[in-house]
Amino acid sequence: MATRATGTTGRDMNAEAVAARNAVRGTAESTAPVILSVRDFSVEYRTSNGYMRAVRNVNFDIRAGEAVALIGESGSGKSTLGFALLRMLVRGARIATGSAIYRKLDGTEVDLVQLSDRDFRKIRWSEIAMVFQAAQNSLNPVMRVKDTFYETAKAHGLTDKNHVRERTLDLLRKVQLDPERVYNAFPFELSGGMRQRVSIALSLLLEPQLIILDEPTTALDILTQRAIIDVVKNLRDQLDFTMIFISHDLSLAAELADRVATMYAGEIVEYGPVRDVFYTPKHPYSVGLLNAVPPIVGEEFTPLTAIPGSTPNLHKIPPGCPFHPRCPYATEICAQQDPPLIDLGGTHFAACHHSDMVSKDPSVWEAMEVAEVAG
Amino acid sequence: MASNAPLMELDHLVRTFKTRQGEITAVDDVSLTLDQGDILCLVGESGSGKTTVARMAAGLLAPSSGSVRFEGKDLTQMSKAEFKEYRKAVQIIHQDPYASLNPVHTIGDTLRAPLLHHKLVSGQKEATKRAEELLELVDLRPTENFINKFPHQLSGGQRQRVSVARAMALNPRLIIADESVSMVDVSIRVSLLNTMLKLRNDLGVTFLFITHDLAVVKYFAWEGNVGVMYVGKMVEHGRTPQIIGRSLHPYTRALAAAIPEADPDLTRSKEKLQLRSLDIPNLANLPTGCVFNPRCPYWEPGLCDTISPKLTPVGNREVACHLVVRDVEAGGTGLDLVPTAQRLAGAAAD
Repeated sequence: MATRATGTTGRDMNAEAVAARNAVRGTAESTAPVILSVRDFSVEYRTSNGYMRAVRNVNFDIRAGEAVALIGESGSGKSTLGFALLRMLVRGARIATGSAIYRKLDGTEVDLVQLSDRDFRKIRWSEIAMVFQAAQNSLNPVMRVKDTFYETAKAHGLTDKNHVRERTLDLLRKVQLDPERVYNAFPFELSGGMRQRVSIALSLLLEPQLIILDEPTTALDILTQRAIIDVVKNLRDQLDFTMIFISHDLSLAAELADRVATMYAGEIVEYGPVRDVFYTPKHPYSVGLLNAVPPIVGEEFTPLTAIPGSTPNLHKIPPGCPFHPRCPYATEICAQQDPPLIDLGGTHFAACHHSDMVSKDPSVWEAMEVAEVAG
Repeated sequence: MASNAPLMELDHLVRTFKTRQGEITAVDDVSLTLDQGDILCLVGESGSGKTTVARMAAGLLAPSSGSVRFEGKDLTQMSKAEFKEYRKAVQIIHQDPYASLNPVHTIGDTLRAPLLHHKLVSGQKEATKRAEELLELVDLRPTENFINKFPHQLSGGQRQRVSVARAMALNPRLIIADESVSMVDVSIRVSLLNTMLKLRNDLGVTFLFITHDLAVVKYFAWEGNVGVMYVGKMVEHGRTPQIIGRSLHPYTRALAAAIPEADPDLTRSKEKLQLRSLDIPNLANLPTGCVFNPRCPYWEPGLCDTISPKLTPVGNREVACHLVVRDVEAGGTGLDLVPTAQRLAGAAAD
């Protein structure tokens, strides 16, 4: 971004620049530079039955300032993709194919896949940061919040204690925490929602360009979830960063994302601006997910339909389109050819042979009978 | 046994626990009634006491005071035979699909065990036949794909259905389901809710359903009732469409307003209720007066922080809020409360 004023938090943007960018954020009109370009990206896990692909030939671009949601059910590969981009995969997992070209803050480009571990450590937190699920405690339990912040800053060469202190307090304030109280606290003295906000503040400490959030509101109470959502929204209005968030919660994506990627069996099956994906979904799996979410407003009852069948075992992904055994639109070709992600115009992509027929009409699904398979 | 008594009555239930911080009241004076075929959802955040109520209703936890009556009979007064009948008639579904099935038993073993134990079948052969019927009932077809499988060979959703099938093995009259796991995938959750609704509609099974998700309540208990709990107290109770569509208690309104919707335009324009504080009070140190007053945007100093509101009938629901009750008694709808800040500003201007 051109606008990079230096304030207390370094990269606060002026209101006009933010408004101008926000107006087109995530749409085809956005001219912000592409900061992450993922091509033919695959990740696999070593298992007793050989390598198992959890992410398969994924392609997508993210522009500066966008919020992209990776949505899908368990086993869809969304978390694996997020962790792989940060090169934080568990032992036994590896990036099998592809590249992830990342444009650094200084404008130079690097392939996240090819970087050495040493070079990656330099950009982790300072360029790309991560916020982990609240349920898994990501803060060191024996360190006070202030020490966690200071240690993180020090590891990246920021040793001016006063500066780090000021910045920490400012960030804690920005995530709606009482800075003086939280600054000196240990993680166990904070509630789950407070810890999650501390993690978000920590991720912003070194002014990264890209933040990856893994299930940021999962396992939190509803009012706490709302607080986290509002904090993230406010931060996006005040600070200049790009965000990828991983979630199984479609409503969270509807509220926070500019662009949505639906994942199924390790593939991105639909990718597009949030309003396109929610209002005119073009992949049957996205439709199936949307038809399964109960609304809260409205004074009428909306019957919901579940997607028939179950998600495939990654060792036995069906041939052709991986969704075809559960899909009401499937024809012969679907069992033979895995459709590529096709541009439908307006930066809306779907991987479906019959995307022109797909609608949100639930009656198409009701007639379907799918045999349940175990194992 | 009184034949016209409700299926289950929870009468002024109180449950306290001793902790290092002193005695806490997890459930404070909760009364509910369930008739055959009813659906009742208890909704609330962690620490609201909803699970403790469910455990008392299931006979897993004795109330500190108050009573649980099944078909008019107090659980503590039952004879051994009566208690056994109650145990058969009331089944529990634990909704953590990864912890509730024995990993070394096949699905068939799991379903046959209660049938054989309670001598509902004459032998293994009949037990297997009944187990197959149960799998059919929860749409795990073809059944031969499942009967000899182990839980690890099933998906999370399939495991949950096996839990439902097991609960149905004894032809229960009431199922208590605690949705303790919020992380189930959306599609699986809907198929499970639909399966349970079918059991209620086709077989007249009664449900006491515990959840933290108001959207799930709206879907599952549309034809039933909902009780909203907050730190051990029932704050609002009534027919679901009414409570969700036109919530009166500020806590219920805050919950409904806080939930994001799966619709980008709608969710971003939804009117939010700004709470005064994000902190749920500590059960060992509850605020005086209304337990919600430190967070309530409408609270009235001198009233809400001193006098604890009683659950009061308002129309055909019950609400525990001084301000709503007063507004309705004065002829209002209870929906147009004035936020405290605005009220004080108005008073200062006068």
